[in-house]
Amino acid sequence: MTSAFGTVLTSLIRHRGVTGCMVVGEQDGIIVDSSLQIGVNGTAFAALTASLYRRARRSAAAAGFGETGFFELDAEHGRVCAAGRNDLVLVVVAGERVNVGLVRVEMLKALEVLS
Amino acid sequence: MVTDDVRALSEALAADPSSVVFVQLGEALRRRGQVELAHRVAARGLERHPQRPDAHDLVARIAIDRGDFARARAEWETVLTLAPGHPGAQKGLGFLCFQQGELDEAARYLGAALAAAPGDASLAAALDTVRAATSDAWRAPSGRASAIGGAPAGTALAAPAAPAPPFAPEPADARTLFADVLGDATRTALLLDRDGYVMAGQHVGADGRDAGADIGAQLSGVSDEADRAMRHLGLGRWRQIVFEAEAASVAMAPGGDGVLLVTAPRAVPLGFVRRLLERSLERAHRWLERGT
Amino acid sequence: MKFSVAENWVEAPLKQFVDEARVQLAVLLHPSGQVLGQFGFARSVDVMTACALSAAIHASAGELGRLVEGKPFTGLHYAGKARQLFLAQVPIAAGSLVLLAVFDDESSLGVVQLFFREFCAAMRAAAPASAASPPALAGDFERELNRNLAVMFGRA
Repeated sequence: MTSAFGTVLTSLIRHRGVTGCMVVGEQDGIIVDSSLQIGVNGTAFAALTASLYRRARRSAAAAGFGETGFFELDAEHGRVCAAGRNDLVLVVVAGERVNVGLVRVEMLKALEVLS
Repeated sequence: MVTDDVRALSEALAADPSSVVFVQLGEALRRRGQVELAHRVAARGLERHPQRPDAHDLVARIAIDRGDFARARAEWETVLTLAPGHPGAQKGLGFLCFQQGELDEAARYLGAALAAAPGDASLAAALDTVRAATSDAWRAPSGRASAIGGAPAGTALAAPAAPAPPFAPEPADARTLFADVLGDATRTALLLDRDGYVMAGQHVGADGRDAGADIGAQLSGVSDEADRAMRHLGLGRWRQIVFEAEAASVAMAPGGDGVLLVTAPRAVPLGFVRRLLERSLERAHRWLERGT
Repeated sequence: MKFSVAENWVEAPLKQFVDEARVQLAVLLHPSGQVLGQFGFARSVDVMTACALSAAIHASAGELGRLVEGKPFTGLHYAGKARQLFLAQVPIAAGSLVLLAVFDDESSLGVVQLFFREFCAAMRAAAPASAASPPALAGDFERELNRNLAVMFGRA
């Protein structure tokens, strides 16, 4: 039986280059639901990305920029994207060849589900 | 053969010589290559409407087509007097300055035009070319010194006849290090050291106060967090972080021992914010290499 | 904040855990309550109290687990208003130790759990064969406890 986020996760993991996607609690960094390819350390990505997103959100708010929506970290060997609402964070792990613009659009639409 | 639009516009102007339709008619004639006729229409219309910025803009563009650069410059400067920030005038003066070898002025005008139209790829390319001509640190996207894309119709602007000026020294005030890169006071760049202190750049708020130290301190924590995450996620080193907040987009990249931070109003497309980050990073690296 | 250990081999793994997980307080102890290392405490009496309570909670949790599912509970988490507590068993070759960590919203349960797993791996690799042996007699225990506290708080 899939959770309420199953459709969102299934849709995201289909994008070329996406190797994992999760809904994570922002405060505790624990996975709520996930769809991961073999070899993706979901626990680590969940905890550290939620922490990173929370830090970005708080920093932006403290700097007077308001609420944070989409977040992307681009690294040498892949990317991590996050978007949060209501203490939940949607996390996407991807390789270098992902169409991040498309993933971003879909993640922002998916925030409605997190609401 | 007169096309329908020109005919209709001509009839409208004939029926009411004081009508502002002369602007459309003049532009239509110019585009069709009837430059002298366009000039007469525009000149007569300008006599009746000397305070209209679009009339002066039209005369300027026609002057370019006629090779009367001095007149074109004068008209665009008048446009900016009547309508500060007029994008057509800024773009036109930018191209004009480039042709005449005034590269710093060209960069200033084109930067301002791009700030008003951040999605204009031709403007971005033009600015790249100007900067490439200014410094060997900048590479033009096409790798050639040729006509700038998007020049006013009928204009063929090539590489400037005068030799490019030597590389301009960095500003004495590190706070303005990124000013010309950013092109707009609503965008900011801060170069932070590893402790989150500001080394260069500034972030001036609506109250006129430089809040760079506060902003830098707040946002430097994100890079610390990223460093930790990268030690455990097997993705190598992080290269860029971008995120969108309600009032601003933020982009960050490792720079020197610390981090470079760029912020821009939310209306600026994220791709352009990343481009600003890359350019600012090049500027920061050059500045740091000079031992500042 | 002060970081101190009673046994040298504990230092590197515990320091790594504290640095990465960004906890406010941490104490590593024998299940008997004897402290092996601490971070963030200002007074030895606080460490003694934390160790005593942690040992007791760990023992109770173990018994509860046996009652509920036939095997001891090995970890627990408590979320307070401003701070959270994580208490878990650290298995090593010679037996097990107990780690208590307290953190606020600078960290999270997921992060603490993540780095706790790494901490356990590092401890397994670093621990000598006799590391988990508790003192056999009450007299020895008190002397060992006092000695460890003195070592950690610089009065040895």
